[in-house]
Amino acid sequence: MSNWMDRGLGFAVPLLIALSVSALVLLAIGESPLDTFSLMLTEGFGSPRRLASTLSAATPLLFTAVATAICFRAGVFNVGVDGAFLIGGLAAVVAGFSLPAELGWALAPLCLAIGSVFGAAWLFVPGWLLARLEVDEVVSTLMLNFIAVAITGYLVNGPFLSRQSGNNVTPPVHEAAELSRLMPPATLHSGFLLAIALLAAYAFWTRRTPAGLEGAWVGLNRRFSRMVGVSVQRTIILAMVLSGVVGGLGGAAHGLGQLYRFTDGFSAGYGFTGMAVALLAHNSPLGMLIGAILFGALASAGTTIQLFSDIPLDLVNIIQGIVMIFAVIELGRISIRRRAKA
Amino acid sequence: MIEQILASGVVLTTPILLAAIGGLVNRQAGIVNIALEGKMLSGAFVAIVISAATGSWLAATLAAALASTLIGWCFSLTITRLGANMITAGLGLNVLAAGAIGFLMSYAYGSSGTLRLPDVALLPHVFPQSVESVPLVGQLLANLDPLTILAVVAIAVLPFLLSATRFGLWIRATGNAAPVMRSVGLKPKLLQEASTAFAGFFAGLAGAQLALASIGIFNEGLTAGRGFIALAAFYFGRDRPWQTAAACLLFGLLDAAQIRMQTVGLPPRLIGALPYLMVLVALVVSQMRSLRRTQ
Repeated sequence: MSNWMDRGLGFAVPLLIALSVSALVLLAIGESPLDTFSLMLTEGFGSPRRLASTLSAATPLLFTAVATAICFRAGVFNVGVDGAFLIGGLAAVVAGFSLPAELGWALAPLCLAIGSVFGAAWLFVPGWLLARLEVDEVVSTLMLNFIAVAITGYLVNGPFLSRQSGNNVTPPVHEAAELSRLMPPATLHSGFLLAIALLAAYAFWTRRTPAGLEGAWVGLNRRFSRMVGVSVQRTIILAMVLSGVVGGLGGAAHGLGQLYRFTDGFSAGYGFTGMAVALLAHNSPLGMLIGAILFGALASAGTTIQLFSDIPLDLVNIIQGIVMIFAVIELGRISIRRRAKA
Repeated sequence: MIEQILASGVVLTTPILLAAIGGLVNRQAGIVNIALEGKMLSGAFVAIVISAATGSWLAATLAAALASTLIGWCFSLTITRLGANMITAGLGLNVLAAGAIGFLMSYAYGSSGTLRLPDVALLPHVFPQSVESVPLVGQLLANLDPLTILAVVAIAVLPFLLSATRFGLWIRATGNAAPVMRSVGLKPKLLQEASTAFAGFFAGLAGAQLALASIGIFNEGLTAGRGFIALAAFYFGRDRPWQTAAACLLFGLLDAAQIRMQTVGLPPRLIGALPYLMVLVALVVSQMRSLRRTQ
């Protein structure tokens, strides 16, 4: 019971701090916080169409949050989900326009699989480096993010550049590779269902499977895990690879379901917002669902609010930044580990 | 051509070097500062606004440094006093800084992305324009600004400050053995806060240099990942001042040469990733070495 209370508080406190700060900001520019927040609520959830666009914005965050949580609970401080999202997204999109369209219904699953394989391979590198050589995963994954931006940016402006539409975009994927829209004209696509299924699988994996349990042990106490015969190295690599699979799938679903192509700026910091969601939820599946939907609502309502009032969209970033700073207060365990290592 | 690369290379090195100076001291005290990027951006924004308001580059530079010092200090409190994780809090501060600046720009100036203000006073050149006739380094000397000189002086005295002054030793002891510090009656948290404020100060200077060295226009993408390049530099230099400075110079020259390499067919995007790749390789090599030593 108290565990639930702790989690609820851990979820609510950072959000409340962020909302109070943004309320002060709104007051300072002469807007009413209550009016703005209630407008955001209606814009985020007020009608089926708005709800659909909120869920659509939440979809990439669900993937990146699950990908982050898989690593965080194993004590692996992976900040490179954004890179896996980009690499997986580009791989899936390239497959989606270069494989023969005659593959029909098999094309979309195939592209998703390709995206997840590329994401997995991408994060296998820092996982292996951490497990075998103890290379600090924060720095390696951070650096790999920039390398992913550079590689995808180069490819999308060079070899995979669309001849028709000019700058920074690949050709569109075949129609057969597109993920179906659930509520047209809203952009909500079947990638959302995939994300929910992954979230459920994550919940099952963490609670009901030996590998999931071992992951949590390694996160809690590496020495104990070693003593009872858990391979810490294997668990670390597995966490990174699974994180890459989920991150790559997220990118693939975003490319095949939302944009139908790969562009510069493909990930609007989804890896980092997903990290905020995972931190806020303390890796709990239900918390991540709520968190992703909240941040999705913020993003989709923020856009509309900017259109109809003088409140800049950047308010969303202010809220996200504060949540990220304060969400981690509870994460004492990992911070102790890091200090001990340094 | 070499003249030009040298000159622009040094101009491009300065902000990275300034930020890395703060970052390495911070890391010696045990805090990995991932928020240098956000503090540089804040410094650049403050520098432009104050420079336009006062017409003084000195006031602008000081204001930028002080603003970032304050941000750095507040930021360190969440880590030392509230137990926030330094990595996610740092990434959060970067998001928050970008958001707050974007918010201010579109609210107060009605502009999105770019801020052009009249009468921005740029950094002065230290030497008279006539030094341009000096062979090889003439252009470099002609473009030299006070902050570049400050960065060089700082990096020159830093080894002494860290190894021979009481404060420097405290900083290093905090990073290496905080419990020992506590047991002799010193306050490691206070020192970590001071070192983060110090890092903020230098990141603010870096932002001011970036904003006021040549263009005098603020842009949301002005820092363009330079805070992370600085992080890469002090990881590459393993927190030692001169090695870090050498890495900064290398990255700065690389940045300057990038535009030219484009003409021989090397894609600039991929060259831009080189610093990050080099850090990764350097980390791997140094880990392999230290593992072999322990075996």
